[in-house]
Amino acid sequence: MRIEKCYFCSGPVYPGHGMMFVRNDCKVFRFCKSKCHKNFKKKRNPRKTRWTKAFRKASGKELTVDNSLEFEKRRNTPVKYRRELWGKTVEAMKKVEEIKRKRQSRFIMNRLKKGKQLEKTEAINEVKKNIHLIKAPHAGKAKQMEDKMVQKLAEDVEMDGAD
Amino acid sequence: MGKSKQIGNHNSTRKKSIGKTWKTKRYTKHLDEIHADMKPSAAAKLLKQEVDYDVAGCAQHYCLHCARYFVDAKALKEHFKTKGHKKRIKLLKDEPYSQAEADRAAGMGSYIPHKTVEVKTQPIEEDMD
Repeated sequence: MRIEKCYFCSGPVYPGHGMMFVRNDCKVFRFCKSKCHKNFKKKRNPRKTRWTKAFRKASGKELTVDNSLEFEKRRNTPVKYRRELWGKTVEAMKKVEEIKRKRQSRFIMNRLKKGKQLEKTEAINEVKKNIHLIKAPHAGKAKQMEDKMVQKLAEDVEMDGAD
Repeated sequence: MGKSKQIGNHNSTRKKSIGKTWKTKRYTKHLDEIHADMKPSAAAKLLKQEVDYDVAGCAQHYCLHCARYFVDAKALKEHFKTKGHKKRIKLLKDEPYSQAEADRAAGMGSYIPHKTVEVKTQPIEEDMD
């Protein structure tokens, strides 16, 4: 049994599911659901359709280059069944999946960090630009003047006292 | 009863009925097929076809990138100036999408970003005399 990948969305195509289209030039296209087939018929580009895996990878939304992605492969040589090997493989698959998930989530979190930083700088810029809305341009000036006057008066009095 | 859905006016380029365009009768080539056509050996064959009375212009004036036949050299030349043709050239500049890329996107190996391909309009043949 082989689980194929959908041509359009890269989702799994299980045996007995989806449909296969064979073009005049013998090229085979597999689709996991009618949505993907319809989009193919509309000649949409999977790289530009936001919900496909190809879009997410092409536009840097997901982890693209990593060693953990190298395990899943199309292996055309049959392996003789051994109970021991089978058990080990299943265990290894689980471990690989766990590592992959961890790395992918870390990649996404790192990607989102940049946006947060940009948001912060943008917010600061906005406040700086529109400071007059928060604080009136002459706010606190009267108080400053008063303080200055008081200080001056005090100085004058001191000077008089010294004479 | 509600108002019927209006799809543009007479001049709009929006497709009036998608169902019709999906019919095998109106089938147009996919971009990856055109990429295969653009290979020199295939292109030479397509650009110098035998006279076929069933096709527009007896299959003598063919636009490789748009996969269309034209009646004469003048019409073909005019076609090269159109927006549709220029758009097509732009679309063809990306490497065609393939099942291998879909597999890589699904996690079978690292995803390699697609490359750009240089595409130019076919040279106009000057044998009008």
